[in-house]
Amino acid sequence: MNSQTPALRVLGVSFLNARPLVAPLRTDPPLGPDGTALFTVDEALPSVCAQALADGRCDIALVPVATLLDHPEWEVVPDIAIACRGAVQTVVVAAERPLAELSRILLDDASRSSALLLRVLLAAQGLTPTLEVVPHGEGAARVGQGVGALVIGDAAFGLAERFSHSVDLGALWFHTTGLPMVFAVWAARPGCLRPEHLEALLAAKNLGLRRIEEYARQYAREHAGTTTSLPESDYATYLRRAIRYGLDAYEREGLVEYLSRASSLLQRPEGDDTAHVRFADAGYAPLRAAVATGTASPVSVGQILDRARRGERLGLREGLLLYDEADLLELGAVADLRRAALHPEGIVSYIVDRNVNYTNVCTARCKFCNFYTPPGGPNGYVLSREILAEKFRETEALGGIQILLQGGLNPELGLAWYEELFRWTKANFSLRLHALSPTEVIHLANLEDLTIREVLIRLRAAGMDSLPGGGAELLHDEIRNRISPFKNTTDEWLEVMRQAHMLGMKTTCTMVFGFQETGDHILTHFDRLRALQDESLLRDNGGCFTAFITWPFQADGTRLKLRDDTSAWRYLRLQALARLYLDNIPNIQVSWPTLGAEVGEVGLRFGANDFGSVMIEENVVSQAGAHFMLTAEQIEHHIRQAGFRPARRNMQYELLTDTPVAPSGAKA
Amino acid sequence: MTRDDSRLDEITRKLDDRTPLTLADGVWLYGYPDLCALGSLANRVRERLHGDRTYFNINFHINATNVCHADCKFCSFARLQPGMPQAYTMSIDQIRDKLIERRGQAVTEIHIVNGLHPDLPWEYYLDTLRVLKAERPEIHLKAYTAVEIHDFAIRYGRSYEQVLRELIDAGLGSLPGGGAEIFAERVRHKICRDKATGDQWLDVHRQAHRLGLRTNCTMLYGTIETLEERVDHMLRLRALQAETGGFQTFIPLSFHPDGNDLGKLPPPTGMDDLRTYAVARLMLDNVAHIKAYWVMLGIKTAQIAQSFGADDIDGTVQEEKIYHMAGADTPQALSRVDLVRLIREAGRRAIERDTLYNVLWEDDGGALAGVRLDASVPHWAAARRHLPIVESPEPLGPGGVA
Repeated sequence: MNSQTPALRVLGVSFLNARPLVAPLRTDPPLGPDGTALFTVDEALPSVCAQALADGRCDIALVPVATLLDHPEWEVVPDIAIACRGAVQTVVVAAERPLAELSRILLDDASRSSALLLRVLLAAQGLTPTLEVVPHGEGAARVGQGVGALVIGDAAFGLAERFSHSVDLGALWFHTTGLPMVFAVWAARPGCLRPEHLEALLAAKNLGLRRIEEYARQYAREHAGTTTSLPESDYATYLRRAIRYGLDAYEREGLVEYLSRASSLLQRPEGDDTAHVRFADAGYAPLRAAVATGTASPVSVGQILDRARRGERLGLREGLLLYDEADLLELGAVADLRRAALHPEGIVSYIVDRNVNYTNVCTARCKFCNFYTPPGGPNGYVLSREILAEKFRETEALGGIQILLQGGLNPELGLAWYEELFRWTKANFSLRLHALSPTEVIHLANLEDLTIREVLIRLRAAGMDSLPGGGAELLHDEIRNRISPFKNTTDEWLEVMRQAHMLGMKTTCTMVFGFQETGDHILTHFDRLRALQDESLLRDNGGCFTAFITWPFQADGTRLKLRDDTSAWRYLRLQALARLYLDNIPNIQVSWPTLGAEVGEVGLRFGANDFGSVMIEENVVSQAGAHFMLTAEQIEHHIRQAGFRPARRNMQYELLTDTPVAPSGAKA
Repeated sequence: MTRDDSRLDEITRKLDDRTPLTLADGVWLYGYPDLCALGSLANRVRERLHGDRTYFNINFHINATNVCHADCKFCSFARLQPGMPQAYTMSIDQIRDKLIERRGQAVTEIHIVNGLHPDLPWEYYLDTLRVLKAERPEIHLKAYTAVEIHDFAIRYGRSYEQVLRELIDAGLGSLPGGGAEIFAERVRHKICRDKATGDQWLDVHRQAHRLGLRTNCTMLYGTIETLEERVDHMLRLRALQAETGGFQTFIPLSFHPDGNDLGKLPPPTGMDDLRTYAVARLMLDNVAHIKAYWVMLGIKTAQIAQSFGADDIDGTVQEEKIYHMAGADTPQALSRVDLVRLIREAGRRAIERDTLYNVLWEDDGGALAGVRLDASVPHWAAARRHLPIVESPEPLGPGGVA
């Protein structure tokens, strides 16, 4: 058998803006591990690319994003896009009258995405001109009184100056939604992409971005003397400034907003949330390396558990072996020993706080969530100051010391809104603010065009005390791309935590399981948390993870129709494994709201030393089928049942001595 | 924290030598702080007897009446007199309809438990069995707790033996284990003084075993009993089992406080549940099976209990009323696929059994009834498949099923 795999057929777009992605594949053809070329490369118009991919005439193509609506099976290459934040220059309606006065607009047949974008924007303004498709490049010549033309691609260069009322659709989209516009992505036939292909496409992009001046010069030479010719420096500026080649959280938000609006315009059967994008895998190199390295470390479960029992650090391969083969009770017994070594005083802590979800409006549309409402959807809310004041007052009256404040990614709420809210909270209440998960911080940074660090500094100055670790789900992009393709990536999530720790802030971290993940995904999650914690502890400025919490995915009512092992049995196993692997995170909290108090209590013998929160209110998992409530007295009863003394704490895990422990309800 | 490892070693030795544990051993185990070590001990015995098997069956419940002249403090089900709000009694036709509704379903057992109705004629109980047998003769009828049998004997002027013989003639296949509560007289006097005493309960089962019936046994824990009284209860069952060998399964039942006179007691706790399963497995060395009754325990704890000594998870159940009226928040029924999945998730191999533990189906790890289960079969479960059974459960005693 010849193990050599045939080169994948790549179809790029012939426009200037695609050159940084496509040209390096020709000039520096990437080679596979066996030394043969990974790709053969051709070019065509965007609409032709999509058709060729659909017909199986190529394996990978740079496709207009609208085609993803018809091809949810395509795998999209992560981290690469042709996008813009604001004016793009090359998707323009050329006209001699304002948009609102046009009775007819000619569409370009080269890209359905742009035509659909125009329709979405017209719909947003309530405009209904007649639309007519004409061949690529012919529209501009037919612009007249009341007739505009959508001009795309290189033909649009310099167009703005030649017409009195040109409209840049990138700018209009940004004005309408506050989000970037993604025009094209690399899409592939399902199953053909391997990690080396992803790496090669990304490497080509990085190479192409370094050659922008070269492409600009080339292009200017090719078009010298034509109607669309511009100075070389204009092309370079276009490639550098107007076009963005990344696909991070903000671009993903823009992508889903576009797909959702386009989908409802096309009246797809399920209404608003039919936007599905499958991103191709992004593996975790250290894990692959660890698995590939021979058998240097101990290979029996018993030996690994002995090492863990002595408090020695476990490697990825050892963690994987425990994940695959260790018995529940063996893991539990060793985790219990490690818990006792880290917390010898026999105390299990808990906190009295309230979970407040200030808004349910969210652009991320995660498939596993039953809490959110998309912007403009029914039942969207933002809590008023009056309601917040009432909740905060109640919290104080019930002995609560903290608000866990989290919400959706609401494009209406800017940084100033949060700053005012935090200042008002601090001025009127003596409550700590454990506020905003990394996902929300990234959203704010994008919205305000600030760095994550700048956002955190301003929020902290306004009164934020610490960050909750939500939104981590599974820190492996293979899973994230499947369940929350439009939310931040693993690296982005970790970067927020890194920045917070650098500022000396304390945060928590979480893991949600039950997304058909494997041991590789779970261990990758643990490993990345542990590595960041190592880095943060070295800084010795107080900034670090205080606690880890894991729970099973709650599926009721969500759009994620997968079925996986979300049993309490697996929960106990994973929590015990976390206690062994996360040797530098001091506290582990049980998740009784999702598992019930009985399992929570048992969890205290499987590595945990904290019973979480009295949670005066919880809205998110309770919307997806978790319905458990506990008072402080009940929590203390369960802690005693497990053989520990209960004590209240704050977010820093300092025990509070001035708050009375609830009366004992325990039986003898 | 000091852990008395020498005592644990001594108990481990006894288990390896098949020496029965004492009351003091049981109480000491209950208090042993290391939950996982206790579980491992019970799991060793469990895997010695059953390997990686977990049994379930396809059954449903009929609770034909909740009218009851006993006033048990822990009960949320019984409505004392006919005509009281929510009191009900099914007619024989209604009972038959319960079965007719399930025409075509592969039910192998009907579990029938009722209140102690003061006015129904003896024929009612016989007819219940007769109509069900006439409708589906192949279905096993596990009916009437020892408390009901005792009540029949008094009310209709018959000996236990006569009652049982007539019921067997009408179609009775075995006795459920309910009504045992806690045998200790102190506790029984306080929580259920109106019904059969512990000795009477044991006598009914002794008589049933003599007539060749298999029966189950239970213990209600979490009311006012002490740990000594729990272990004492297990020892009394072990003694009868040594005499007759007729018990198949022990089912610990935790007390649920909603809607009854003991509502001020704290709710059941996971730790106590798991300890009870483990201690029961270790004390009752001559009873083959320990059942984690998911309706009462909750699905999550029932799964975990499969690592703490239990080897059975009961059945599909359907229409359980007694625990649900006491606030159990479990579903009313689980499908066969649900049961197999949750057994797999607990790292075990599902075995469908009939009432008498004849194997009807073994899980081969494949897809089931068109539902993809492969994604939910954990690696560790696959790795542990087919643990050998190294020891048969105690041979069944004299009698056997006629």
